[in-house]
Amino acid sequence: MTAASAWSWRALRLAPPLLPLLPALVWLPVLLLLPGLSHGGGWDLIGQFAGAAFKPSLDPLVLSSAFTGLGVTVGIALLGWALSLVLGLVGGVLSSRTVWRTATGSALPAECIRRLLAVPRAVHELLWGLLLLQLLGLQPVVAVLAITIPYAALVARVVSDLLDALPTAGLEGLRLAGAPAGPALLTALGPALQPGVISYGGYRLECALRSATLLGVFGLGGLGTDLRLTLQSLQFRELWSGLWMLLLVMLVLEALLRVLRQRWGMPARFGLSRRSVGRGGREVVLGALLLLPLLVLVAVALGVNPLQLGQLQPLPPWTADWPAVAALPWPALIGSTLALTLLAAALAVGSAPLLLLLMAPWPWGRALMQAIWALGRLWPPPLTALLLLFVLQPGVLTAALALGFHNLGILGRLLLEAEEAAPLQAEEALAAAGAGPRLALLYGRFSALARSYLAYGAYRADVILRETVVVGLVGAAGLGSLLLEALSSFAIDQLIALVAVYVLLTLMGEDLSDRLRRRLLAA
Amino acid sequence: MLPLPFRPRLPRASVRLALLAGLALAVAPAALPPQLQQAAAQLGGAQAQQKVLRISAIPDQNPEKLNRLYGLVADELSRQLKVPVKYVPVTDYTAAVSAFRTGDLDLVWFGGLTGVQARLQKPGARLLAQRDIDAAFTSVFIANTSVGLKPVRGVKGLAELKGKRFTFGSESSTSGRLMPQYYLSQAGVKLKDFAGGAPGFSGSHDATIALVQSGAYQAGAVNEQVWKSSLRSGKVDRRKVAVIWRTPGYPDYHWIAQPNLDQRFGKGFTGKVQKAFVSLRRSNPQQAQILELFGAQQFVPAPVGQYSAIEKVGREIGKIR
Repeated sequence: MTAASAWSWRALRLAPPLLPLLPALVWLPVLLLLPGLSHGGGWDLIGQFAGAAFKPSLDPLVLSSAFTGLGVTVGIALLGWALSLVLGLVGGVLSSRTVWRTATGSALPAECIRRLLAVPRAVHELLWGLLLLQLLGLQPVVAVLAITIPYAALVARVVSDLLDALPTAGLEGLRLAGAPAGPALLTALGPALQPGVISYGGYRLECALRSATLLGVFGLGGLGTDLRLTLQSLQFRELWSGLWMLLLVMLVLEALLRVLRQRWGMPARFGLSRRSVGRGGREVVLGALLLLPLLVLVAVALGVNPLQLGQLQPLPPWTADWPAVAALPWPALIGSTLALTLLAAALAVGSAPLLLLLMAPWPWGRALMQAIWALGRLWPPPLTALLLLFVLQPGVLTAALALGFHNLGILGRLLLEAEEAAPLQAEEALAAAGAGPRLALLYGRFSALARSYLAYGAYRADVILRETVVVGLVGAAGLGSLLLEALSSFAIDQLIALVAVYVLLTLMGEDLSDRLRRRLLAA
Repeated sequence: MLPLPFRPRLPRASVRLALLAGLALAVAPAALPPQLQQAAAQLGGAQAQQKVLRISAIPDQNPEKLNRLYGLVADELSRQLKVPVKYVPVTDYTAAVSAFRTGDLDLVWFGGLTGVQARLQKPGARLLAQRDIDAAFTSVFIANTSVGLKPVRGVKGLAELKGKRFTFGSESSTSGRLMPQYYLSQAGVKLKDFAGGAPGFSGSHDATIALVQSGAYQAGAVNEQVWKSSLRSGKVDRRKVAVIWRTPGYPDYHWIAQPNLDQRFGKGFTGKVQKAFVSLRRSNPQQAQILELFGAQQFVPAPVGQYSAIEKVGREIGKIR
């Protein structure tokens, strides 16, 4: 780069509040391409789908089936979440540099465990589910483990990051005063860790509910099964019976977690300021105590039996044909998967602040937007993809819209939460000085949120990379569709190769997004 | 980071609570296993597996119909065989095969391909019965009328589908994927010849019809039986979607049973199950309802040799390895 261009680049640097809007530029080409992709043949189906929302089926059979399914989904989510939290905490402590340095003087074991935990994390819960189905058979424990394994690895990563980011002055003080490693760590870091862990733990429960629904879509039990079958057979009224129930549960759960978070003084998911030790430690403990019998009850009701873990089945007989695996069109497959990821991430990350700004002057617009976001979060992406196919041609863009919509729902809500928690003064000052509501919001509150929002968006991008597996239905010629094909042919050799590629891609994506996040947060 | 705020009132109560919590956490695992073991015994543990005959089917139709149909089948089998019969719904063709292999399903209504996959993965599995229509089952290629595809005379005519957006049903469907792909390959059409470099997989016959009718895909292949029942129920808009070709007949759906039913339910049990299916008659009102939902006049014993053609095609296409 020449000196002149470097100079002009610097002069063009965007004001921070505009940064989160940058990814929304992707809408320009998307809007240009959409008319060409649209075939419009299924608007009547979309109309029927939307109309059915207002008259869901009230047939007792449908309702009882949806209700049972919902119970299974919530139960799976709860068990998977609780297990992953416990395992994740242990894993987090084990992969913390600070802990190992204090205990043994070397951070090397932490690094090794960290790398090792990246593998279970890189495999989507759906793949874990389908793999465990082969090993364990059609048991409820499969869905629970499918959530537990990747989630535990994720929680471990977050916990260890939280631990290593804590100031160590107190710890060093205690060690110098002669305290043994264990008690010193617990005293110095334990209380400081609590708010972050509880806040993140609550958020994981929301994620677990979404994952459990998705697993159902692929046949691992629960309401997702009903959703997929009713959508595929175009029984929209029956579909909405289940959908409304799920929406209700999700909104109640989110509201509950929000109240608890505020009550216990926990930071929001990407809060601005770190707060001190959470209040209400006693309530937290009490909550955990109440949760235990509930979990046991759920496990009994679902028929989750840990003993089944001992009865592993062999894989189906298979032959390896590695030259054929190597001959697959890998560059094209990987290319289209990466394109799908970037497109979906840009759509989701960019649209949330853009929509928030557009709707700023109209309270009813905001309410409508929030309702649509809630639907996006709730509605598993493969089903959105199928709906989109009624009016759009299949392809990477359609798949990206489906994934983008789902993640927009998640990002949007987090942004809204952070926005509500951000201080109002700057915005009020701007508004009082005569700036319009949009500009006041943009420069008043977004400027403070911009970097942490983008940093979170970068993290979301590697989640989206894993999620590309689930929209194989429309993402013609991507890794996801090949994976579904390999599964249905019981082509274990191809499966191994595909999972390995996904792991590699996710690890690279994680590394990239980590760097991006560090840069964003450091600046 | 702020310094930790000093909290003078922390110790006593909190410590007691924390101790209590710790104690509860420590005791909980000890309390857990017996309850779970009890639950396991109730819910599909070893004993229950001996008693209940678990039937299932690949999900090729809408769930409401599946639930109604297999509820009736379970009742009828239970009446004839004098054992409790439970219908276990499965949402995915692949999951049905896997659950049969792992022994979680005793008796499954498989398609041609999934049945062969299941028998290859579970040696000794017994092929029991098929419908009268399954010895020569057919698929139809359908197209959106706006595309202007002409009715196909011979199999070679399918070559006109090159460059079109095309969808199959489920990846492992015999009538919605395997045989249509076989005939496409006879016309020289490879999967990468379709628009976008690959065909779609709608997941079910109903979805294929809806997606071709809407125009998302310009053409597709479906089970002719489902196509006809969609025509009858008025789900199909004949102005928007039409048949362009019907395949020759091939063997499709059939009941497959676990190899160990006789050990678990008594000598000759597998034979009794087969007889129960083959003896269903239209003259009996309850049985007529079942046959009607299956779209059959009656069930007949299925000859194993018939499905070697499906296995051969499956191997050619790479769905059986």
